Amino acid sequence: MAPKLLLSVDIGSTYTKGGLFALEGEELHLVGREIVPTTVDDLGQGFARVREAVLSRHLNRGHNANSPFPGAGGEAASDIPIYWSSSARGGLKIAAVGLTPDLTLSVARMAATSAGGKVVRAFSYELASEDLADLKAVEPDIILFTGGTDGGNSRIVLQNAARLAELVSPAIILYAGNRKVRDQVVDILRGREVATAANVMPEVGTIDIEPARDVIRRVFLERIVDGKGLSSVVAAAGREPLPTPLAVFELVRTIAERVPGWGDFALIDMGGATTDFYSHTKSFHGGDSIILRGLLEPTLKRTVEGDLGLRVSAEALLRSEAAFLKGRLRASGTDLAPLRSYVEEVSRRTEFLPDDDESRRFDRLLAAACVRAASLRHAGVIQRVFTPQGGFEVQRGKDLRQVRRLIGSGGFLAGETGPDLLLEACAPGSDDPDTRHLVPEAPACYADAEYLIPLLGNLAADFPGAAARAAVAGLKPLTSQTN
Amino acid sequence: MDAPRIVLGVIGADCHSVGNKILDAYFTEAGFHVVNLGVMVSQDEFLDAAVESDAGAILVSSLYGHGLIDCEGLRQKAVERGLDKILLYVGGNLVVGKTPFEEVERKFKAMGFDRVFSPHDDLAEAVKMLREDLEARKS
Repeated sequence: MAPKLLLSVDIGSTYTKGGLFALEGEELHLVGREIVPTTVDDLGQGFARVREAVLSRHLNRGHNANSPFPGAGGEAASDIPIYWSSSARGGLKIAAVGLTPDLTLSVARMAATSAGGKVVRAFSYELASEDLADLKAVEPDIILFTGGTDGGNSRIVLQNAARLAELVSPAIILYAGNRKVRDQVVDILRGREVATAANVMPEVGTIDIEPARDVIRRVFLERIVDGKGLSSVVAAAGREPLPTPLAVFELVRTIAERVPGWGDFALIDMGGATTDFYSHTKSFHGGDSIILRGLLEPTLKRTVEGDLGLRVSAEALLRSEAAFLKGRLRASGTDLAPLRSYVEEVSRRTEFLPDDDESRRFDRLLAAACVRAASLRHAGVIQRVFTPQGGFEVQRGKDLRQVRRLIGSGGFLAGETGPDLLLEACAPGSDDPDTRHLVPEAPACYADAEYLIPLLGNLAADFPGAAARAAVAGLKPLTSQTN
Repeated sequence: MDAPRIVLGVIGADCHSVGNKILDAYFTEAGFHVVNLGVMVSQDEFLDAAVESDAGAILVSSLYGHGLIDCEGLRQKAVERGLDKILLYVGGNLVVGKTPFEEVERKFKAMGFDRVFSPHDDLAEAVKMLREDLEARKS
């Protein structure tokens, strides 16, 4: 039987990538891929260009007797299904509203980032008038409004609903708080664009973010597709897009569930503006003398660090990771000044690519800071405490020590050849012998050298097993393999 | 009608978990909605849970003798967090040594706890008191 061809396109903030895949039986193979610059003003143009490039260069390879896919050329270009994703200006902007910072607000952040969004503001307790002004100013796409367990706090939740009713903003308000007052909240917000989902924290310590994630994904489609020429892409593709981070999130889940030996792994996607960290591993392993405090985090987790990036966020990175960067520079006998001027330069010229030894060295150093900090923030900590009943360990956050494989993705990490940079994710992070950061210990490292992860993420919903296996097969091992 | 909500946990660096599980089962059986935070619970964790779940009472256990220092300031913090009406109960081996219970009770009441229980108190009695106290707070 002739293989079935599939086209997958990812519209990123800098580049639009396209790949043609052949589905033969249960397996997907890459036929060819192309990259064109993203056309920011009309995203449809870049889409059309990459589609044209992929089809003209790779579709007719089927006529070549040496082609691995004989017969593939017989298919008309218009018959090839198109799957696509869009990073949508670095992700949906979400403002999170919760009740207490460590409970509902923390879960709301988790829901927003795992849906592929970027948390632009976070508020706890009663919203004040300056919070409303702030909310208006940041122009979020979604206000994720949470608070209270089911049957729990309603006083502050209703008060905040009344506040949000005063807000003049085109943002969609997604209510995912105390179920008991859901109807009242919807009523108070009458006339506004409101969506509802199940409470993100129905009980203290119980996390239920899937329903909210699902609504955020739908809102993404409605909101993002309207702007910047994406509706023409919907017409051309005959299908709605996925948010790129969500496509990646689902692919991570699929790989963990479908590929033997990949149950515990992490993926770092570092770009100019953010560093995203995805992990799939059990959060807490228990044991006699270890106690979990705080929320039990989900097995599949994504965090987005808006101050860790090589270009747009380089200045923020220099501020938040100054101590680490200074330390590294001191070790090589220099100070911060040259790096500072480099950062000033590249945060203005975000399209800049390193062109000499020094700029390569600086990019590498900034990348190391991003990988290290993203991993330390994603991972939890264990602290040794001494009690009258003896020594105990208290864990907060997620344990990544069982992560056995680590993938680098995104422009810089995909292109980087050695494992050293990725292994920055295993930095101990603390000199205190009683505090241990639960970062991966000695994972095997891989590069998504062909940048196939988002492209296969688009295919994961329809062809889960094949997309997961193709994603793993397409990785370039950087260290010797684990079993 | 919704079951009355209460927050339960063992405060401080105290890992005694058996009594905590018994209390959870007993109060649940008695018709309360128990938000059980387990062992080694900080003051802030008790209060966060009470705010989110709109609990009428926080039941603090302390078995290892450091109850006084662990519970110090909980009432003030509750007031600061807007929980000015919440009931605070405490029970267990609250202090080290052979201090008479009346003395212990006086100290904890001075710290703002509404009821103080010794290891010998009857749980049925505690449930009855809790129901009455919650009812009294409503009016």
